[in-house]
Amino acid sequence: MSTLQDKIKEYRQLFTDLASKVKEAKEAEELRQLFLGRKKGHLTLLFEELKNLPLEEKKAAGKALNEFKEEIQKLMTELEQKCQTRKPERLIDDLTQPGRKLYWGSPHPITLFQREIERIFISMGFSVEEGPEIETDYYNFEALNFPPHHPARDSWDTLYINDKLLLRTHTSPVQIRVMEKKKPPIRIIIPGKVFRRETPDPTHLPMFYQVEGLVVDKGITFAHLKGTLEYFIKALFGEKIKLRFRPSFFPFTEPSAEVDIECIVCHGQDPHCRVCGGSGWKEILGAGMVDPQVFKNVNIDPEKYSGWAFGLGIDRMAMFAFQIPEIRYFYENDLRFLRQFNRK
Amino acid sequence: MKISYDWLKEFVDLTISPEELAHCFNQIGLMVESVEKIDGDTVYEIETYANRPDTLGHLGVAREIATLLDLPLKTKNWPLVELSQVTSDFIDIQIMDSQLCPRYCGLVVKGVKVGPSPDWLRKRIEAVGLRPINNVVDVSNYVCFSLGQPIHTFDLNKLGGARIIVRKARKGETIRTLEGSLVELSPEMLVIADETRPVAIAGVIGGEESGITEETSDVFIESANFDPVSIRLTAKKLGLSTDASYRFERGVDINAAPLAATMAASLLCAFGGKVSKGLLDVYPNQKKSRTVPLRLKRIAELLGVEIPAEFVVKTLTGLGLKLKEHKKNVWAVEIPSFRVDLEREADLIEEIARFYGYDKIPSEVTPVKSFELPSDRKREKIWRLKEVLFHHGFDEVINFSFADPEKEKIWQTGRQPIQLQNPISSRSSILRTSLLPGLIENAVWNFNREAEGVHIFEVGNVYFWVEDDVHEENLCLGILTTGLREPQTWNEPKKETDFFILKGAIEDLFCYLGFDSLSFEPVDHPFFESGQALKILLKNDPVGHLGLLKSEIARSYELAKPVFCAEIDLSMLLQRQPKPFSFKPIPKFPGTSRDLSFLVDENICYQEIHRQLQRLNVPYLEGFEIYDRFQGKSIPPGKVSFSVRFFFRHQTRTLQAEEVDRAMLDITSQLKSSLKIQLR
Ligand SMILES: [Zn+2]
Repeated sequence: MSTLQDKIKEYRQLFTDLASKVKEAKEAEELRQLFLGRKKGHLTLLFEELKNLPLEEKKAAGKALNEFKEEIQKLMTELEQKCQTRKPERLIDDLTQPGRKLYWGSPHPITLFQREIERIFISMGFSVEEGPEIETDYYNFEALNFPPHHPARDSWDTLYINDKLLLRTHTSPVQIRVMEKKKPPIRIIIPGKVFRRETPDPTHLPMFYQVEGLVVDKGITFAHLKGTLEYFIKALFGEKIKLRFRPSFFPFTEPSAEVDIECIVCHGQDPHCRVCGGSGWKEILGAGMVDPQVFKNVNIDPEKYSGWAFGLGIDRMAMFAFQIPEIRYFYENDLRFLRQFNRK
Repeated sequence: MKISYDWLKEFVDLTISPEELAHCFNQIGLMVESVEKIDGDTVYEIETYANRPDTLGHLGVAREIATLLDLPLKTKNWPLVELSQVTSDFIDIQIMDSQLCPRYCGLVVKGVKVGPSPDWLRKRIEAVGLRPINNVVDVSNYVCFSLGQPIHTFDLNKLGGARIIVRKARKGETIRTLEGSLVELSPEMLVIADETRPVAIAGVIGGEESGITEETSDVFIESANFDPVSIRLTAKKLGLSTDASYRFERGVDINAAPLAATMAASLLCAFGGKVSKGLLDVYPNQKKSRTVPLRLKRIAELLGVEIPAEFVVKTLTGLGLKLKEHKKNVWAVEIPSFRVDLEREADLIEEIARFYGYDKIPSEVTPVKSFELPSDRKREKIWRLKEVLFHHGFDEVINFSFADPEKEKIWQTGRQPIQLQNPISSRSSILRTSLLPGLIENAVWNFNREAEGVHIFEVGNVYFWVEDDVHEENLCLGILTTGLREPQTWNEPKKETDFFILKGAIEDLFCYLGFDSLSFEPVDHPFFESGQALKILLKNDPVGHLGLLKSEIARSYELAKPVFCAEIDLSMLLQRQPKPFSFKPIPKFPGTSRDLSFLVDENICYQEIHRQLQRLNVPYLEGFEIYDRFQGKSIPPGKVSFSVRFFFRHQTRTLQAEEVDRAMLDITSQLKSSLKIQLR
């Protein structure tokens, strides 16, 4: 039976032989496992043997074994460094395979656009208000200065529930509800679903989304309305977008305005443009100074306070911004449409 | 409203090209929708507003343009070839309701040769998009589109008796209109009648029997004013909208009637007509003109720009308003009868702004004096909830709030639906009482269009009657998952969705909203297969349900795949305040864990085990994790095995093995009594 020292000698020889054949890191690792492996490595086993030696032999053998271990470790490190220049140990065959993906759902484009609008106004110190979708004639019309049986109501064709209740045709009733509860200064936007009795066509549906804005305070002017809406539209469509204000009529504002923005599709160059019809302009929102009668209806003194309001259709705006040809896409909920907004 | 360039020239000597005119229209708010070249003329389709009946004739539009361009408005004489008889020799006018008919003018024209109109008149009629009929009808249309005052012409010889009576219709009366349909009149409608019968529906349409034909030679011209609301209600009730009713319901100038009658009579003289002497003008209660105060200071206050007083005076005068300055830069403004829209100072300021040019008003930042804290974080919470669902792979949809009553019946939502009085169609005649029917429709739509899986949600209101007269709008979240799910790795197959994908998303969204007292309870629900549905509870309040959709419901939509869906009441959820967050210190000393496997009665569900584990009261126990549930051959029948890992930690030192051993004994004995566990 050979002594431990003999075995060390044999293993040293074996190591030298094997080490001379090592070329790659993988082979070096195999060699390291063979000698230094934690369970079955030659050296580990030698240390096991050492435990069984009589005490008098143990000391010398242990010293030799430890020296041998250091030697092997040193040689291994050198060997591994030599192999270092080569590849890492576990190789991937094809790095061009796609990475692991999380499959995220898509927000609805209306939600996206609405959030974007809210974000801009919140940054200007506006807060967001909401109100019921089922409304009374008073809030939807009368308080907003639509007399009963007035033709002005024709542009707000209404779905009725009964003689008292209707589906709100705009988010404007929330203006009234807020002004009834709160004293000026008021600085709010009101997003929400609205309903009209419209026969569906490419640009009309009986349900769509609106955002409305309202500012009431002392000394508010039409110039403030212009400045704020210009900033908003530039924030949404970019610094360079052109816009124009032109007179219009709404029962709840006086003076009233409509805002057109430059057609971002043809810039007025295409007489058959699908978006602007060749005019070069696209009507996107209505606005104006709050009508004094509206103030009276909520007990705000129009001599003391003034205010401006605007309203826009989110669907129409999103159609324009994303160049979506038909409004119905928003409510068909075809995944091939919706999933495109994953990247927005 | 169609406006002809040539026709405008009858009222104002235009010095600008048709292209420049289009820009002028836009500046003052008469938005040009389209432009057409017809026969050397330019015709503009102009958007008019419900409060501006004066722009429904060329005269009113010419007045606007003349004011903008600072040109005079032309006036024209309307000479008459007169008969020797006075008008009242032929006819008598009697107004029974001067509220509904404040003014009625009439003239008789005898000996008119009815026939085709001359070219100039045909051209005018065609320019406004009408078909020339004969000279008499064309003349009345010409007058209407010139002045905005509708007139009506009767065949004098077909009027029974020499009397025109303006009265309400009698019950059961009918009239055959010029359009040829027989109309049943109701007692609130105003009619023009002769001694025996109605001959016209006042301000809406004439009767066929008294109408102008080729044989007509004597014409009675009616030029009257009617109450806007009455005309509107009649036209609406009859489903008739005519050029006349369109104008009357917006309010026609009370003082236009005499001129319109004279103008029509004068034009008929060109066709051999001779006009009765003296206009019959029944106008019992003369209307006073309105006066509105105007302050220069207020203009600047409202518009944010100083506008010179001269500009104000010039513009308003041009529009036919009369200004009396009674203090410096303070005026009393008399409003002409044709401007029914001008009632307050703000209305006058709008006129000034329109002509001054909105583009010349500066753009300024709206000043902020204070910021307000958001009253609730509802919208943020909703967005957060949507984000959780996006992460779980659900796409957001938005459906109409309308529902098909037949389809909703299948669902038995148990809610009293709200019916619409005038729905677009019978299939959208109620408001939805649940979000799930819409989501199912979306699934079907997409499966029919190559989708292999549909995983969607919607946040929106459902609506229902709570009591007879009390309705509710409830914000809900609906989630649906059916079909295949996308794998994470490209070469893995897609997998069928399952119940726990839905449940996991729901658990996560409650967790991210800060609610940790969520629990579930088996429930029988009409939407779901029996034994395959859970009620969602927050503390002890139900906030929703989820489960496997009943196959009968799925089949009625021709869906064969299993559908898992959930509906959660958000209005309730968002009202609740989640636990306030506070930081917990990061442990300084190492913890230790021990595993325990045990058997319990198979009737005991996971949630019950979890609940009992949470209730454990054991020193140093930091938490636990149930990591296995097993039932099989090695387990005695009627039993199920659970494996739990318990974590222990002391806050201020390292735990000793004996302490953990003691704690484990404690746990075992507590579970023996609460869950009757048997150790494995
Ligand atoms: Zn364009």
